[in-house]
Amino acid sequence: MLLSELTAAARRLALVGLAKNTGKTVALTAILTELADAGRAVGVTSVGRDGEQNDVIDFRIEKPLIELVAGSLVATTDSLLRASGVPHELLAKTAIRTPLGEVLIARLKGGGTVEIAGPSAALDARHIADEMLALGAEQVLIDGAIDRRAASSPDVADGLVMSTGAILSEDIEQVVERTRDAVALVKLPSVDSDSRLRELARAGTSVLVDGDLANHHELPPRFALTAEEHQIKNQLDQHPQARHLIVAGALPEPFLDSLTRAARSQGRTLTVIAPDPTKVFLHERSVEHYRRAGIELRVLKPIELLALTVNPLAPQSHSFDSTRLRALLAGELDGLPIFDVRHPEYRGSQPAAPRG
Amino acid sequence: MPREVDLSAVKPYADHLGDGLVQMSFTLPVPYSLAARKAAMELLAKIGFEEPEVVHYEQLTEGYTYFVLFGRCVQTVDFESLQGEGFDIEYMSEEEIEHFAESHFGRPIVVVGAATGTDTHSVGIDAMLNLKGYHGHHGLEGYRSFETHNLGSQVPNGALLAKAIEVKADAILVSQTVTQQQLHVHNLTELVEMVEAEGRRNEMILACGGPRVSNELAKELGYDAGFSKGTYPHHLATFLVRELAARETPDRVSSVPAS
Repeated sequence: MLLSELTAAARRLALVGLAKNTGKTVALTAILTELADAGRAVGVTSVGRDGEQNDVIDFRIEKPLIELVAGSLVATTDSLLRASGVPHELLAKTAIRTPLGEVLIARLKGGGTVEIAGPSAALDARHIADEMLALGAEQVLIDGAIDRRAASSPDVADGLVMSTGAILSEDIEQVVERTRDAVALVKLPSVDSDSRLRELARAGTSVLVDGDLANHHELPPRFALTAEEHQIKNQLDQHPQARHLIVAGALPEPFLDSLTRAARSQGRTLTVIAPDPTKVFLHERSVEHYRRAGIELRVLKPIELLALTVNPLAPQSHSFDSTRLRALLAGELDGLPIFDVRHPEYRGSQPAAPRG
Repeated sequence: MPREVDLSAVKPYADHLGDGLVQMSFTLPVPYSLAARKAAMELLAKIGFEEPEVVHYEQLTEGYTYFVLFGRCVQTVDFESLQGEGFDIEYMSEEEIEHFAESHFGRPIVVVGAATGTDTHSVGIDAMLNLKGYHGHHGLEGYRSFETHNLGSQVPNGALLAKAIEVKADAILVSQTVTQQQLHVHNLTELVEMVEAEGRRNEMILACGGPRVSNELAKELGYDAGFSKGTYPHHLATFLVRELAARETPDRVSSVPAS
């Protein structure tokens, strides 16, 4: 099965890389080529910038160009559209400004390469995607940038393709481990759909909730952004029955670390509930680390992770054997389809996911 | 009469247009000698300069030689293709900024700034925000129309964002020394992602600054503008008041049909 076939059901498809140069744009161009072959009308935008010739940080790295066929919709800036030289019909101005100009929506009247820089903010990306669907796109691809994940929020996209690669580490085991942790974060399970916790979360403030769900206790504003261990301890002391913590916004790692220590010092375990996986910021530690330490992470809205793409090559550095890397990843990522779209055996073959 | 410049193929010049002459200096870790001079010329030739010439060289210290050289650049860039990129701002003067802010907002514009993560360099943020400023241009603190909060260096993203929410900031200004290491870039993207997670991305202008920060990089990082070397406080202030005024127009997010 091709990547485009696997992701066809997601009307708004987000692409996110675990770092720069993990092959996210290569995955995007593969999907675009396949959709063009299948005659599907596509819309494309990027929360960053795509299709530029050279990497913005390391100029030695050449980037893949975005090749689009006639009929495609794009959301990019006025100047980049002009510079592409591709004939197009202007469909909408958006009044969304970026450092590279105002974002426009256009339909290409001929094929060619276009540099794409759409709205940077996640909710603006959602509006633009909906606009392109309304203007006739059958599917909209929202490309991420660097390691930004906000556009993969379920509030923005219906599905996600994640990209990983050799760039993460010179040690293949490390690449596998970091990818496994990132996938676990993206796939954070949802709380029960009929749970009282969901109702409490609707208030939009962070609260502690007792184990029997009968009582809840509002936390001070910006608690998860600023609270230190003694303040967390204090809250736990005041509410000895609390077993759940609903976080209304961002859930940073330093807070989780302090929470873990505070809970452990009282011999307690907690479920921490974030709005969705893009609101949880883990870098040093994994979901599994916190689970073992007595902190279960859950989300209100899960992300539909559809596939993982792999770039076995780290530009200006090292590379791994693609088949081996995919096999190692498949061993850790239960059933998740894994693709190397540049590998000779990609087209017309099955993804290297374990069966049964 | 000066010759007409061909903007589709520009190159450096020293004596006359198109001569491609570049002056440069560097140090090689080799002893001061004729061989050192030859090494410097060979290096220039390898880089691609024609007619490499050493005009000055001296011993820097034992085993190190410092050079000043000329070389003829044979490459050109197409300036015409670049002119469409980004915005070329016409900067306002301090008085114009104060006047613009008073007539548009009638309240102070709140700016919170910091050097984030492990970055210990607060000089960029100090130059932009502190009264002292630099090169005789005082920072936003000295403007009537700005209320500034400089949190200093090594500020965690969570603390910066919490302060910005607390004081109802119109803008967050971050400085970072961007290197090819992922860490610095990651600090910058994480702040944007946290602002998104707090649901405040469209309430705050996000600007980043640093020696290698361009508008292109700012776009990838998710910022509204990027500022690099050569930026004065009034450049930043011009951007902030104009952007804030543009955001207060009602049709910010909704699309309108092209006319």
